[in-house]
Parts: sequence; C-alpha cells; structure tokens
Amino acid sequence: MAMERHERFSLPKVWKPRNVGEAWSLKRSFGSDAEYVAGGTLLRTWWEGEVAERPAHLIDIRSLPLLAGIRIAEEGGTGIGACTTLAEIRRSCGLAAEYPALPEAVLQIGAYSIRNVGTIGGNVASGIGDALPALLVYDAELLWFDGSEERIAISEWLERPEDCRRDRGKLLMQVRLPDRANAVETPTGGGNAPFSVYRKVGRREAFTPSVATVAISAGRTEDGRLERVRIAAGGGAAVPHRLYAAESLLEGKTPDPDLLPLIHEAVEETFRPKGDVFAGEEYRKRTAANLVAAELWKLSAGRQGKE
Amino acid sequence: MIDNRTELAPAQSRLTLRVNGAACEIAAPPSTRLLQVIREFIGLTGTKRSCEIGRCGACMVLVDGEPVNACLAMAYQVQGAEITTIEGIASGTELHPVQRAFLEEGGFQCGYCTPGMVLSVKALLDRSPDPSDEEVEEALSGNLCRCTGYGGIRRAVRRAIELGR
Ligand SMILES: Cc1cc2nc3c(=O)[nH]c(=O)nc-3n(C[C@H](O)[C@H](O)[C@H](O)COP(=O)(O)OP(=O)(O)OC[C@H]3O[C@@H](n4cnc5c(N)ncnc54)[C@H](O)[C@@H]3O)c2cc1C
Repeated sequence: MAMERHERFSLPKVWKPRNVGEAWSLKRSFGSDAEYVAGGTLLRTWWEGEVAERPAHLIDIRSLPLLAGIRIAEEGGTGIGACTTLAEIRRSCGLAAEYPALPEAVLQIGAYSIRNVGTIGGNVASGIGDALPALLVYDAELLWFDGSEERIAISEWLERPEDCRRDRGKLLMQVRLPDRANAVETPTGGGNAPFSVYRKVGRREAFTPSVATVAISAGRTEDGRLERVRIAAGGGAAVPHRLYAAESLLEGKTPDPDLLPLIHEAVEETFRPKGDVFAGEEYRKRTAANLVAAELWKLSAGRQGKE
Repeated sequence: MIDNRTELAPAQSRLTLRVNGAACEIAAPPSTRLLQVIREFIGLTGTKRSCEIGRCGACMVLVDGEPVNACLAMAYQVQGAEITTIEGIASGTELHPVQRAFLEEGGFQCGYCTPGMVLSVKALLDRSPDPSDEEVEEALSGNLCRCTGYGGIRRAVRRAIELGR
C-alpha cells in the first residue's frame, strides 16, 4: 500500500529549533533539503499528490513562542501568530467582532479536524490558501524573519513572482490586521457599521477545494456611502489578488443595484483565476463576479450573510 | 545563530504518549505517521486506513480530546499527548453512549467509517452536549460515509445526545 511504499524510504529528520533565529539558520543551511512544518496538512497533500518531494529535513516551527497566539498589537490592530491554528481563529470572539470575514473564511477551509492542526501561517505561505482574500480586504501585513524582521503588505507580497514568495527560507512570524476604526460589525449590517463578507464556492457544499473565493470590505460614511472599498478574489490554484477596477466603481458610492452590472463586468475582466479540468477560467471568473454582485445586492437591500 | 545550531540535534526516535489511558514509550521515528504508530507499533487496528490524505476521516483519533486525522499527524506532533482511539471509549463491556446510539439507530452499514465517526461525535458531545444541527454538520464535515447515507448517522447523533442527557 501507499504508506508502506513511501515510509520504507528513510523518513525525514525532524529538527526542533528553540527560537526563530535557529529555525531560520537551519533552513539556510539545509536549503531546499528542508521545509518548515507548521501543521503539515498541506505538505502532506503535496507529498502524497507528488506535487512536492518529501525533503530530508523537517523544521518544526509549531513550538516557537513568537509564532503563537492572537494578540492586540501595541500600535493598534491585531497580530495573529503564524502558528495559530485555523480552529483558534474560528473560535476567537475578538476576530469575529472586528474582522468577521476571516473566521468565516477559515470555517470553510478543510474540515473540523483539519482546522485543529492546519495553521494560518501555512495557509498564507502557500500563496493560494483560501484565507488570503479575507486578509487582503483587511489590508493585512505580513511580518517575516529573514535574518532580521521584514514587514510587507500582503497585497504587495502576493503580487511578487512565485519564486520570490516561496523557497527563500523566510519565516513568517505574524499576520497583522490593522485597526478597523470602530469596526464592530452588527450582525444585520445596519446603519453606518462597516461591512465585510467572505464567500467560497466549491464543487460540493462543504469540505471542498475552492473554485472561487471572494471577500469584500468597506467602511460607511454617515450618509451611507462606501469608503475604503476592498474587493479580492482567489480560489483553487489562483494567487488571490485585489480587484481594483471593481473597487473604484464602488468607492464613494451608495451600494446601488444599478452599479452591479458594471461591477460584475469589472470582476470578470480583471480577475485572474487558474482553470483546471473541472472548472475553466471563464467559469471561475463568472462565479467570482456573481458572488461579488450577489453580496453587493444583499448590501443594497439591507440583507447580509448567507441566504 | 549558526553557533546555536551546533547544539541542536534532530529529534530522537523515542515517542512517549498515552494511548487510551496507558503510558506508552515507542521507538518510532519522529516523522512516522500517527496512523502507523497506532496500527503497526501499538497494534490497535480499530483506527482505519483509507485515503491517507485527510479527506475521509476513517483514521480519526482524539489528540488531547480533539479530533485529528491520524494519517496527517506525525509522531513528533503528538509527543506527550493523550490519544484516544475507538478501542478506548467503552468502559469494560459497556459501550460508550455514542457507540450504542450508532448501533441502535443503524448509523452504519459496512462500518469502515464508523470508528472515525464515533470519535468525532464523542469529541463534539464532550465540548457541546446539546449541539445545534449546524454544529453537528461542522463536527462531522470531515467524516465521509459512502454506504449508509447520512440519515442514519444524523439519527445516531440525535440519539447519542438523548442518551447523554
Ligand atoms: C483534507 C484537506 C483539506 C484541505 N482543504 C483546504 C481548503 O479548503 N482551503 C485551503 O486553503 N486549504 C485547504 N487545505 C490545505 C491546508 O490544510 C491549509 O492550507 C492549512 O492552513 C495549511 O496549514 P499547515 O500549518 O498545515 O501548513 P504546512 O503544511 O505546515 O505548510 C504549508 C507550507 O507553508 C510553509 N510554511 C508553514 N508555516 C510557515 C511559516 N510560518 N513561515 C514560512 N513558511 C511556512 C511550509 O514550509 C509549507 O511549504 C486542506 C488540506 C487537507 C489535508
């Protein structure tokens, strides 16, 4: 059987660095013979699917204290340690109140048991994780360690070519979410409360890889116009990105149903999905555009959340 | 930093953990799958091997009370943990209420997915004794059944909730 065949080969050695510097030095010295392992759930999928070879060395980063936990950052906002499990994010009341699209995205990743082990850091570092669109619309920043600490906006990091994103030995320490000024969202989304939402469509209702994912966030002025509009899409093997053309169509406007055809078109024109044998690019573009339009329509009609 | 590294050595092939309440020390390489540790090193074969990539839930075990796919977890990740397998939940000859509920409600046919289902339900009811339908769906979303259909399984969960009252 598969397991016996694989595991008769020599198994990878496991290293347990005591701090971030040690972890990074190990990766530097082993290079492509080593992988950082957080939950290992995605790595296992890659190894078994023969997308990636199992390396000779695994660097366990789960017990590094700097990578654990969700905390309010000194300069405002919230810092999520890279090794925070998806289950912890899902359970966090603070995140649910201020950044509801993130726990919603996380709830749709894998299944309960996968979320107990899989981490936000692994999801982000993969460059294609389903949590990324939610992080994009909250203007998240990534805090990396590469000999010294480096901070970069998640949108900028995702726009880099793939070989800059992966395999350079950088260690993701934290995902930072900026303060959303008085952003406690009311469940009905009424009044001037800021608004944010996440939707995922897969080929099954639940526990399914994504065909398309979208996230939207916006603040609202006193007279009900949208400001700081963010719209992002991803799904499957696509690198998620913001949809600037659609954002600017909405910026400063009230969410009016008449705008929806234009926004739908802008999403279809600017989203860059990756097609596969199950769902081609056109289908994914259409799906993402439908999701964005449907959520904005609900917003204009004063309804929010899943139907 | 490089100096520190010279003090580091790769993790040893010595795994200490508790399985169904009993302390175990096993000479398993740290990156062995937990599934192999349980079935082959310890000899408990109630934990089923199926998809081996976390997609079916047949190998679900509880790690410190929380469901984890034993095919995904590696030995070093459960160092010092308390593992519960399907063999560990009955008390003597008395079945666990969740096992009884699956039997009484016909919550299985071939039975291959059942150990994993039972453990996911046990963990759910331990943390939330009277769960909503959504909670039940969320808790069981990683356990696939390809023969009984989910009707009998849902009935079994409802029955287990009643038995626990
Ligand atoms: C059955 C199943 C279903 C799944 N469903 C989904 C899904 O619906 N949506 C989805 O997005 N994903 C899904 N996944 C993939 C995976 O579970 C998640 O993406 C998870 O968040 C990955 O986290 P991890 O800690 O397990 O990552 P790992 O497997 O430990 O790591 C993944 C990659 O990131 C790197 N890495 C991890 N942490 C860091 C860090 N701090 N710094 C630098 N590099 C790092 C690793 O070296 C590796 O290359 C699924 C996986 C399985 C097995």
